[in-house]
Amino acid sequence: MSEYGLRVGTPGVRAAGPITFGPAGILFLADNVTAKVFALDVGDAGPAAGAEPFDLDNVDARLASLLGCAPDDVAIRDLAVHPTSHNVYLSVQRGHGDAGVPVLVRIDLLDGSLSDVDLRDVPMAEVTIADAPAWEDERLDTTLPQGDEGEELKVGERTIRILRRPIRTSTVTDMAYVDGYLLVAGLSNEEFSSKLRRIPFPFGDGLVDNNLEIFHVSHGQWETAAPIRAFVPYDAGRSVLATYACTPVVHFPLTGLTSGTKTVGRTVAELGAMNQPLDMVAFTQAGQEHLLIANSNHGLVKIACSDIDVQEPLTEPRGPIGVPRETEDLRGVTRLANLNGSHVLALQAEGGHQHLRSLKTASL
Amino acid sequence: MAAVCWSRVRGEDCVRVTGPRVGAEVRVRPRLTDVVGEMPSMAGEVIRDGGDVCFVPRFGFVDGMSYAITVDGVDAGVLSRPRPSRRATTDVVEIRPSARRVPRNLLRVYVRFSAPMSEGYAARHVRLLDDTGGVLTGALFPTEQELWDGDRVRLTVLLDPARIKRGLAPHREAGYPLRPGEAFRVVVDEGFRDAGGAALRAAAERRYDVGDDERRRVDPTAWALHTPRRGTVAPLGVGFGRPLDHGLLARCLTVTGPEGQGVDGRAETGPEERSWRFTPRSPWAPGVHRLVVDPVLEDVAGNSVRRVIDRDLTRVEDDPAEPGRDVSLSWPA
Repeated sequence: MSEYGLRVGTPGVRAAGPITFGPAGILFLADNVTAKVFALDVGDAGPAAGAEPFDLDNVDARLASLLGCAPDDVAIRDLAVHPTSHNVYLSVQRGHGDAGVPVLVRIDLLDGSLSDVDLRDVPMAEVTIADAPAWEDERLDTTLPQGDEGEELKVGERTIRILRRPIRTSTVTDMAYVDGYLLVAGLSNEEFSSKLRRIPFPFGDGLVDNNLEIFHVSHGQWETAAPIRAFVPYDAGRSVLATYACTPVVHFPLTGLTSGTKTVGRTVAELGAMNQPLDMVAFTQAGQEHLLIANSNHGLVKIACSDIDVQEPLTEPRGPIGVPRETEDLRGVTRLANLNGSHVLALQAEGGHQHLRSLKTASL
Repeated sequence: MAAVCWSRVRGEDCVRVTGPRVGAEVRVRPRLTDVVGEMPSMAGEVIRDGGDVCFVPRFGFVDGMSYAITVDGVDAGVLSRPRPSRRATTDVVEIRPSARRVPRNLLRVYVRFSAPMSEGYAARHVRLLDDTGGVLTGALFPTEQELWDGDRVRLTVLLDPARIKRGLAPHREAGYPLRPGEAFRVVVDEGFRDAGGAALRAAAERRYDVGDDERRRVDPTAWALHTPRRGTVAPLGVGFGRPLDHGLLARCLTVTGPEGQGVDGRAETGPEERSWRFTPRSPWAPGVHRLVVDPVLEDVAGNSVRRVIDRDLTRVEDDPAEPGRDVSLSWPA
């Protein structure tokens, strides 16, 4: 793992956030409290798995039992599948507030057993994704307090007293790894904008955070930006399909864009009122690439990528709402991941509990 | 028959099993009420302590939970953790905007608490209500990830942008969450838990009137600047002409001196976030000073110095400002 800059250590994870796998089975875990992304070697040397489905009922109750708490104390924050063993990884927060503990749980594909991944002394690397101004940023001088307020900090030769003010934070909503870059989408607690970061991996010291600001146009008239809710790399990583807090599905290119670039994506579909897109995954059916989108208020939406490629940007306010799509009558799905070429794994809430269900791609 | 009790070993809470056979298999499971079937046993370590066996959980026992213990697959007893009563000590300190009237396309509300809070309660315990007590359904943006500051004392609550922005299907189908002329209240109920797990001392609310839309860029060149005389410590005053975003005001305005250096002093936001005042720590020096504005600064509807939140491509006045550059106002003229 040293070729990826990983060194043995214990990641100081405080909150479980989105997860995704990168090269060589390295797992990226976003922590929205410390504003960091950790790259972790999860040591999963399980045998290469086949194309069988995997189902597990009452995953939330099983997690509660493993973690010794009530199901209400278990928040499943994300789902990822190991690229070779196909073991299932869940990013889980156990408990609330001061009692909250982040846990990475592995579900063994062969026997359905759950275990927590020990994160002590593992090969790891980390990168900070906070937008917070650096301490040496002179703009902080404007809030130097009077008297004994605040805290003392040493900045170079100077000792200054600083009154901490509200730090903006960027909450990671989704991540994906493509060709040496970790793509990170986030939601700010202050400004309303759409930024996609491209963080080179291995992280390295001379990190250049590459921000793209993405706009989309509604019906040819209104150009707007919004935080990206979920996204998938597309067209061999040359572009991205993203769903937004305000529900459009937008296509935008990645190639040829440099840091600080503003780009306008092509709105290819809208997913309707009183609905939030929750997650999306790309899969292949009969040799054709498709997209599956989980929604808060209706079933799974399936879109053929060939339709996306020919879809003109939406321009008619009352006209069609974009590419043809089919809605699968499967509700309550909150997370999606590719299990293997034949199945998509869905986390589904039903009957008061959460379950892992395999969806056969040929039947979707 | 093995006996079980709560105990301590190596400085940690444990379940102690007295008198088991050597090599006995001890398993602990929380008692879950509404699930059937074999559940995984709790993650943890089994330690021999003299003739006893102690189970130390990897994740601590939870107050108020009961745990079933088996030894070699045979029930050995159920132990319950006491549920301590937690005294409520935390309050809502403020709800922003502080303006009495907000535009129909209000985007963001901040709730500040007196102590760090727990995540996972915002969706159930922050609501918008009309004057009859009815919930404005679908008004708030249902984020899975709650938006907190670093200290977990300030929560950002977004109104559903899909219903606010023009042109989108949700806006056309469901319309604005707010209606001009119809007042509403932001309500935080006492069920919101602080970081220690205690409820709030009291519910809190703020009532707003709803005015017309605000769809203009924030324009610093139109601000009223009340400039101080040099040699004094009189404040620099800035009037915005409309309420701006409270969170962004705390970091988007900077004062620099004649050499371009930051000026030390104290910044305060005025009533209704319509103004801002900066008092220097030392008297103003001679020479040109600047008020530097970070162009990400937004008003309460999400319009920034750079952009209108939903820019109308057919309106020249909606054209964006130069991207990425700070805007500055200088004095003396």
